[in-house]
Amino acid sequence: MSPDRRKRSPFPWIRTIMAVGVVGALIVLGGQMLEHERRGGESPMTESGPRVPNAVFPTDTFAGKDIAQPINYSHKLHAGDLGINCLYCHTYARRSKVAGIPPTSKCMGCHTAVATADDKPEIAKLSAMWESGQSPAWNKVNDMPDFVHFSHERHLQKFLFDNPDMNIQDSREVCAMCHGDMVEVGVAKKMRPLTMGFCNTCHENNDGPADCTRCHK
Amino acid sequence: MPSLLGNIFKGWTDYSKGVEEGGHHEYEHMYAMVIDLDLCTGCNACSTACYAENNLAVVGEDKFGARQAMHWMRIERYFDEPDLDKTEATTDADTQSRGASFLPMMCQHCNAAPCEPVCPVGATYHTVDGLNAQVYNRCIGSRYCANNCPFRVRYFNFYDNAESWPAPMDQQLNPDLSVRSKGVMEKCSMCLQRTRAARDTAKREGRELKDGDIQTACQQTCPTSAILFGDLLDEDSAISKVWKNHQVKLGTYKQDKENPELRGYRIFEELNVDTKVLYLERVREV
Repeated sequence: MSPDRRKRSPFPWIRTIMAVGVVGALIVLGGQMLEHERRGGESPMTESGPRVPNAVFPTDTFAGKDIAQPINYSHKLHAGDLGINCLYCHTYARRSKVAGIPPTSKCMGCHTAVATADDKPEIAKLSAMWESGQSPAWNKVNDMPDFVHFSHERHLQKFLFDNPDMNIQDSREVCAMCHGDMVEVGVAKKMRPLTMGFCNTCHENNDGPADCTRCHK
Repeated sequence: MPSLLGNIFKGWTDYSKGVEEGGHHEYEHMYAMVIDLDLCTGCNACSTACYAENNLAVVGEDKFGARQAMHWMRIERYFDEPDLDKTEATTDADTQSRGASFLPMMCQHCNAAPCEPVCPVGATYHTVDGLNAQVYNRCIGSRYCANNCPFRVRYFNFYDNAESWPAPMDQQLNPDLSVRSKGVMEKCSMCLQRTRAARDTAKREGRELKDGDIQTACQQTCPTSAILFGDLLDEDSAISKVWKNHQVKLGTYKQDKENPELRGYRIFEELNVDTKVLYLERVREV
């Protein structure tokens, strides 16, 4: 054993540890790449659906129950076939915490002129309610628990209004991030889990706040 | 870089900073309070406002006597020791010639909060706003935090408080705040919901938060304006000026004042919990 061989490093395990570290780093990186590939970088809403630029989509889905409504209002017809902007009826989403259910007057704004109550039983129901001055007792579909602070306004600001590549006409894609594409369903259904994990994943991917008290109250 | 690696790097940076600088924390704001005891008349308006703002349960006399009260902000009363040498009418040992002095006591939002490290589930932590937050959903009710709090300002829900708001009083609950249920610890949050609302408003108007945007409920209701709330990181805020004028600094357990006559002090400063509520001593003519 030559004397210079005895001058060992003060840390004889360094090579082993570095090797383990390199292997670990490779595993982590590989996992990252796989994950990225699995997400396809950005995830399409539907097979052909458009996307929100500058945002990563949540991919979870949720099979919501069919919730009976007093009037079988079809999102497929209104938002899909007729192409009415989500924000036309859910006006409050852009300036408040809640998206809001449109008042009956909003329905009648069109239905006094188009598709009146003559031959459509559902619209006859609506007209009857309108005449008698009562609102349809809509049942809640997407319910946030009381201990969660969620602001529609902030999310629309980020993904729609402050997003240079988005136009307000495309609000549907932004809403679809958390509500699924409502065009796929007739009567409204919950199509995303809206759980803490769901929110958190999206917050991590889109640099949302990660502080507990930003959402928990 | 919102990825696993990014998180690891960021976590490591925070950790090493914390080791080097001792409890380093990235603050965006540092909300703090000043309470002028010279102005405080002990009228309890702040405490009442807190009940209204923060959905506090009214427990009633018996539970209050059993130390199960739920007041986030309490008014402590201090009486001078009676002057027994006086031969006037007021020599009774139980009374005093002058009134009590009052001290509003709520969570001091310590920067080195003793309640935080003892929580087994991490339900209480420091937010980027420099506030000590309590996450009710996480709390399992071990009550360690209350036992480790030198100020005794954490309150435990021993009961479901539904009877506190018999109909129609439940209509007056604040929707910006959850109604805590049985088995959850709660405390003053310095009106976190108002901070949240102010932040949203500032974002809507496309500006930064400015001094005076946020008022806590107790500050808003104090008839003598004895309470001041604001951001200590903002050099120009009213509260920073008060702290500076009274030569009180954060991050120390012993203030080094040039002028010992200055009234500002922090309670239990020697415990080194680094409270963020500055009290201004009451001045009385002798």
